[in-house]
Amino acid sequence: MKRLIVGSRMAPIAIVALMLAPVFAHAQVTAKPAAAAKAWTMPRTPDGHADLQGVYSNAQTIPVARPANLGSKEFYTEADRIASAQAAAARAGRTAANDPEGGALAVHYDTSQFGLGGPTVKRAASLRTSIITGPEGRVPALTPEAQKRGADRRAFQQEHQWDSAQTRPLGERCITWGFEGPPMMPVGYNSTLQIVQGQGTVAILQEMIHDVRIIPTDGRPHAPSVIRPWMGDSRGHWEGDTLVVETINYNPQVTIQGGIVSDAAKVTERFTRIDADTVQYQFTVDDPKTFVKPFSGEYNMIHIDGPIYEYACHEANYGMANNLSGARATEKK
Amino acid sequence: MQIQSGKSRSRWGTWLFVGMAGAALFSLAVMPTAAQAPAYKAPRTKDGKPNLNGIWQALNEANWDLRPHAASQGPVYSLGAAYSAPAGLGVVEGGEIPYKPEAAAKQKENYANRLKLDPEIKCYMGGVPRSTYMPYPFQIVQGTDTIMIVYEYAGAVRVVNMKAPTKAPADSWMGWSNGRWEGESLVVDVTSLNDQTWFDRAGNWHSDALHVIERYTAIGPDALQYEATIDDPKVFTRQWKISMPLYRRLEKNAQILEYKCVEFAEEVLYGHLRKQPIQGKGDSK
Amino acid sequence: MRTKLAVVLAGAGMLLAAAPVWAHHAFAAEFDEKRPLKLQGVVTKWELVNPHSWIHLEVKGPDGKVTQWMVEGGSPNSLFRNGFTKESLPEGTEIIVEGYRAKDGADRAVGANLTYAKDGKRLFMGGSAPGAGGDGK
Repeated sequence: MKRLIVGSRMAPIAIVALMLAPVFAHAQVTAKPAAAAKAWTMPRTPDGHADLQGVYSNAQTIPVARPANLGSKEFYTEADRIASAQAAAARAGRTAANDPEGGALAVHYDTSQFGLGGPTVKRAASLRTSIITGPEGRVPALTPEAQKRGADRRAFQQEHQWDSAQTRPLGERCITWGFEGPPMMPVGYNSTLQIVQGQGTVAILQEMIHDVRIIPTDGRPHAPSVIRPWMGDSRGHWEGDTLVVETINYNPQVTIQGGIVSDAAKVTERFTRIDADTVQYQFTVDDPKTFVKPFSGEYNMIHIDGPIYEYACHEANYGMANNLSGARATEKK
Repeated sequence: MQIQSGKSRSRWGTWLFVGMAGAALFSLAVMPTAAQAPAYKAPRTKDGKPNLNGIWQALNEANWDLRPHAASQGPVYSLGAAYSAPAGLGVVEGGEIPYKPEAAAKQKENYANRLKLDPEIKCYMGGVPRSTYMPYPFQIVQGTDTIMIVYEYAGAVRVVNMKAPTKAPADSWMGWSNGRWEGESLVVDVTSLNDQTWFDRAGNWHSDALHVIERYTAIGPDALQYEATIDDPKVFTRQWKISMPLYRRLEKNAQILEYKCVEFAEEVLYGHLRKQPIQGKGDSK
Repeated sequence: MRTKLAVVLAGAGMLLAAAPVWAHHAFAAEFDEKRPLKLQGVVTKWELVNPHSWIHLEVKGPDGKVTQWMVEGGSPNSLFRNGFTKESLPEGTEIIVEGYRAKDGADRAVGANLTYAKDGKRLFMGGSAPGAGGDGK
């Protein structure tokens, strides 16, 4: 009985988040211990570190934040998952939150025609109810200071959003979508990345927007804090077979899960290979000037054949000129 | 050793002399002469390949003009000597770019309109080979099956496939790179480059038939020799080649810093669509 | 059950308030939902670029006048992942575009649905029912 109720309550959420059968064929279930057919040993790079290299999809079947009605439930049971999978329409992986194009609109191309976010995308299946872990499973509240930052920016945007390219959102400007983070979050489509390990360096290429994170692992200090990259300044080190990366000094225009970051922001990520095809990704966001407390998340990324394709963006950003031109034309009416 | 003087050398002496002369000749033959000094061998990565990991940068005038050229006025008078072209000895082997006649005319037209047309001004990715010698560093991250080349300028990146070569589905700004080792050299075969990039600020250009073969070879612990063979039958009468050293950025903790550059090109690209013109728009900020 | 799902569907998207609200209007700023159109023309160029691909179309009007149109589509990267290449839509192919016209009045449109003129089959993928995978339709 209880299962049925949970199943039907979950169904609308599942429509947003869950995918059907094609996923499960490639799935890794995080909560179950691997009843794996063959044992595997950790592959190593020639210098002896765990080998995280490869091309991955970090598209997910789970939402970032836990649906409110699930309370502190961090994992679905197997039965829940089957019930919700049956109920879910095969909605694309794009949601309002992870859509680079800013959500569903009638005036749009048909994403299924371009294979975007749909059933052909490989996703790690998961029994988690949300990427954000813990009893709440949601982004913590913003501090009063951060709320004011947000309110000020929204007020400015109301007045000026069509003034110029510089007042448009960062994604529309092809500067950063925001999903690159860190923390790196699933995108509604082209949610792919590639990890290459060189000497004393780990490079992570995220397809959108061809952003590469170069993470030195040689123990050097962070760059001077006056330098504020869009993806922050990252430094990595190994704890056993886990790559731990700490990132600070974000550009002040960057937002993480709805909060405009402060100069106190620090994001810690942990990358651990858990089987031949899967890298577990964990993160903690700690910005006491923005969020009332730190929050953490976890998801798996699964190996795909690749390659990553170039996503040039700015070079063919006709949309920017078209949007501004449309705004000027609308004003004249 | 004793060479016996006198008319009648003993047989011993003769053979000894011949033996020693022979030995001397023999050692001369195997000793490398100055002209044949052994090539530099870079330290190896743990998987036995020349180690090209690091941050590299060209130090020449190639980005102004690949050909030998005199110093000349830049396209913006108010930038004066800060954006005028210094002279360059050229990096093209033979000094000339072998344009077809109509293609040579287009280069002159590009040059005359370079302020409007140079993709570098718009923060468009530099393509290959220009990205190598733009005045910004790049980093080689040498993995096992893949080598990533990450350029500071526009955050451009190339993923060099070191396994069996593959084909591109379509053209791109940074092309499609298949690489292999040839002795000490990393050889990268670059295809599927689009026709939107230039070779330099002088408007030297190419079509979408461009095919580049690069060689990166360590010539010392902190320098590489970079060679690129250019093949584009739509534009040039034959293949041609550029060659230059690349220098390691030796600063302690050297790193590629972000130069996304989109935010510096928006006024150039979209300023005419602003709601209101910027106060004091133009060359001063 | 179905109605309940359909009703909740509209609200489900509001779960995650991460995106700034102004980011949702880009398409509406570029194209006009009050100016739907249907074009039939011949492909002259297929720009496989991001963030949106563009099909260049030569359209002959009933008066014989020829107009050059640009039709916006999706990121081509997933098409590549599914085996499509630049050869997949050759020059000269005749297609039908149902979409919406540019707000600034130019000969530009977003192609909400793309089909081959000769047999009505949908271009590329999207063999599923209209609206599935598409947004807001």
